Amino acid sequence: MDKPGVQFRTNQKITWCPGCPDHIILESARRTLISLVEQGYNKNNFAMAAGIGCHGKIFDYLNISGIYALHGRAIPTAIGMKMGNPNLELLVFAGDGDTYAEGMAHFIHACRFNPDLTLFVNDNQSFSLTTGQATPTSQPGFKSNLEPLGNFNSPLNPIHLALSAGASFVARCNANDIEHTRMVMEAAIKHKGFSFVEILQDCVVFNLYVNNKDRLMYKLPEAKRTLKKALALSQEYDYINNKGKIPLGIFYAQPRPSLDEEWPQLVNLKNKKVGWGGLKK
Amino acid sequence: MRLNILIGGKAGQGINKVSGIIAETLVKNGYYIFNYRDYPSIIRGGNNFNIVSISDRPIASHESAIDVVIALDEDTIKIHKSSLKKDGLILAYKDFSGLGLNTNVALAGSLIKVLGFDNKVLASVVKAKIKNKLSVDALTEGYNKQTSKFNLKVLNNQISILSGSSAIAKGAINSKIDMYFAYPMTPATGVSEMLAKDQLKNNCLVFQPEGEISAINMALGASFSGARTMVGTSGGGYDLMSEGLSLQGMSQIPLVVYLASRPGPATGLPTYSMQGDLEIALRSGHGEFPRIVVAPGDPDEAMEKVNEAFYLSEKFGALSILLSDKHLAESEFSLFSKNKKTLPVVVKRLIPGQGVVKVSGYESDADGLATEDPKIAIKNADNRLKKYQAIKKECQKLEMIKIYGKADSKNLVIGWGSTKGAIVDAIDGEDFKFLQVLYMMPMSNQIKSEILAAKNVILVETNLTGQLGRLIREKTGLKIEKRILKYDGRPFKSDELKQELLNKLKS
Repeated sequence: MDKPGVQFRTNQKITWCPGCPDHIILESARRTLISLVEQGYNKNNFAMAAGIGCHGKIFDYLNISGIYALHGRAIPTAIGMKMGNPNLELLVFAGDGDTYAEGMAHFIHACRFNPDLTLFVNDNQSFSLTTGQATPTSQPGFKSNLEPLGNFNSPLNPIHLALSAGASFVARCNANDIEHTRMVMEAAIKHKGFSFVEILQDCVVFNLYVNNKDRLMYKLPEAKRTLKKALALSQEYDYINNKGKIPLGIFYAQPRPSLDEEWPQLVNLKNKKVGWGGLKK
Repeated sequence: MRLNILIGGKAGQGINKVSGIIAETLVKNGYYIFNYRDYPSIIRGGNNFNIVSISDRPIASHESAIDVVIALDEDTIKIHKSSLKKDGLILAYKDFSGLGLNTNVALAGSLIKVLGFDNKVLASVVKAKIKNKLSVDALTEGYNKQTSKFNLKVLNNQISILSGSSAIAKGAINSKIDMYFAYPMTPATGVSEMLAKDQLKNNCLVFQPEGEISAINMALGASFSGARTMVGTSGGGYDLMSEGLSLQGMSQIPLVVYLASRPGPATGLPTYSMQGDLEIALRSGHGEFPRIVVAPGDPDEAMEKVNEAFYLSEKFGALSILLSDKHLAESEFSLFSKNKKTLPVVVKRLIPGQGVVKVSGYESDADGLATEDPKIAIKNADNRLKKYQAIKKECQKLEMIKIYGKADSKNLVIGWGSTKGAIVDAIDGEDFKFLQVLYMMPMSNQIKSEILAAKNVILVETNLTGQLGRLIREKTGLKIEKRILKYDGRPFKSDELKQELLNKLKS
C-alpha cells in the first residue's frame, strides 16, 4: 500500500471493466483529495464508506480510512463514523441499486438528518456486478435474464427526491468529465451538511441503451437557486435516454444546521478536535 | 414473612407509578421487594396490574396467592378476586370517589396503614414523585380510612431499588459508553430512555435512527471511529440487525448488542416475557464468526455483565450480545450487594484520524483490502476460530455460572436469565441445588460435571422447546429429560414453581 501521502493510491489491482467510467470517477476523487490536502485538509481525516456493487471497488483503490460496508448500508455506516468522530471528512461511495433499492430509507433520512458528509452515487442505471438487472433508475422495457418481460417501472428521479427530502446540497456530474466532477466533488465536501452528488455513468457491458448521454448534457451556471427553481430543473431529465436535456452541476446549496452542529456532545468533540476515542472521561 | 400486593386498574390510572411508590416506601422501611409489572399493549384502558411482593428476607420473585388487592376499577376485583387468600383484603377505588387521578395515591395510603407503617415515608416519596399538591392530602385521606392489620415493624436494612433496564444503563455508563443506537421497541426501550435522560451529564449520545438496520450499521461506523458503542433492540428489530452482526464478524469492529427478547414469532405478545430468542442470539448472522452471549438474571448481574460485554468486545474486537427479556428489564428488584470492580474498557486500536485504517465486509488482506485468495481466506477463518478460543480462555476468569441452594443436593435445577429470581425463591429451604447459566457462549465446562454429579436434573425455562437444554446437549451430549417449560408470556411465580419442582421429583 502507498504510504499515506498525496497520491491516495493503493497497490490493489484494479478490476473494473476496460472502458468503465468508474476508472474516471476514481481519478476525479483522487484529484479532489489531493486538491483538498493542498488547501490544508488533514489527509488522515478523510474516511469513507462504500456500498457493494461495481462502484464499491473504489474502497480498495483509494488510500483513505473506511469501512467496505454492506450493500445498501454505506450511508448509515458513514453517519455512524461521523458521529463517532465529527472531525472526520466522510465520503460515501454508493451505487444506484445500492442506494435507491436496498438502501432507499437511508438515503431519504440522510437528507433529513443532514449529517455533514458527502454522498456520491455512481448511477449506471443497472445492477452490473450481479450481471445486469434493472435498478430503480432503469428505463421501462429494460430486459435482463431476471426480467425477460422487461422492466415495467419508470425511473425515479433521485435529484428531485433528494431536494424534496430536504438535502441541503444537490448536484449532478458526468463521470466522463474528470475536471468538472472534481470541482463538484470539492464543493460538495466543503458544504456543511449532507451533500448529494449524482454521477451519471455508462455501463459498457449491461443496459447499453442508456449510454452515450453526453450530447444531452449541459452545465448549469453557478447561481444561488430557490428550492422551487431547483426542483423544476431536476425535472428536465427523466432518466430515459434521448429525452430532455441533462443539467449538470450544483442544483441547490442551502446550508442549515447539520447533525454534528445540533448535538451538543458532537459540538464538544469538534471543539476539542477529538473523536469519542480521544475523549477523556 | 412474605406478602403479595396486587395493584390493578386501567392503563392511564397510574398503576405502575403507584406500584413504584409503594415499593420505594417499603424499601425505605427496610423491607425487600420485588415489583412485577403486567400490562397489555394498550395506552388507555384494559387491565394493568403490578404485584409487589415484600419480605423481611431477600426475594426476587412474586407469588400467586395475594394478600391485598388494590383495585382502581371494577375489572381488577373481578379478574383478581380468585387469587386472593382466604383472609385477603381488597382496597377499592369506591372509597375515594371524587379524587380522580389521586385515587391511586389514596389507596397507597390505605395500604401503608394496613401494613402498619406510619405515613411519613410514603408522604416524602409521593412528594418527590408526584408534582401535585392534592396528592399528599389524598394519601392522608386513604391512610386515615384504614386500621393496621399486618403490624409490620420498620427494619434496619439498607436496600435500594433497581429495574433490569436501569441496571443495564448503569453498567453501560460504568463502562464509559459513548454511543447508544436504538429504534423504539418494547421491552428494550427502557435502556434507551435511561441513557437518553442523562446523556449530557454522562457525556454519551443516544441516537434514534430510521430503523434497526440503520442502528446497527451506524453503531459499527461509530465504533470503528473509536466510540464505545452499544445497540439495543428486541425480537423483530434484532432480526433486521442480523446482516449487521455478520459484518461485525468480518470487520471485527467491537460491538455490544442488547437483546431484550419478547414472546414471538412476529409481533407476538409485545409487552410480555419469554426466553424464546436464545437461539437467535447464538446463531443469527450468516457465516461463521465468534461471539459472546451472556444472560444476566438480575440487575446486579446485569450491571456486571454489561461491563464484561464491553470489556470483551473491545479487547477482542468481538460481538457481545447481552440477552434479557421483559421480566428482567421491567421488574423492580431490591439491590443490596456492594458494587463490584468495573473492568476497564479502553480503546487502544488504530482509529481513523490517526492514519489509514480500513476494514471490509469482504474477506480482506492485512491492509483491509478485499481478496479472494484461498490461502488468506483460510488464514482469516482460522483466526476467527482462534479468537473464539482466546475469548473462551478470558471468560474462564469471569463468573460464567453460579450455584445456589443446597450445595450437596442431588436434585439439580438448571435455568438462565430472568427465571433466576423465581427459582432461587422456589428452592429456598428445599433439597435442591440451582445451576444458573450466565455465559451461553462460550459455555462453562463445569456444567457437564454438575449434571453428571446429580441424580435428578430439572430444566426450567420460559419457552416452548427448552433452548438452553438443547444447547447443553450440543455442548455436553447430555439430554435433560425433566423439563418445566412455560410459554404463556407470563413469568414463573415462585410458589407455583416450587410445587412444580417438587412434583417433578416424584415423577
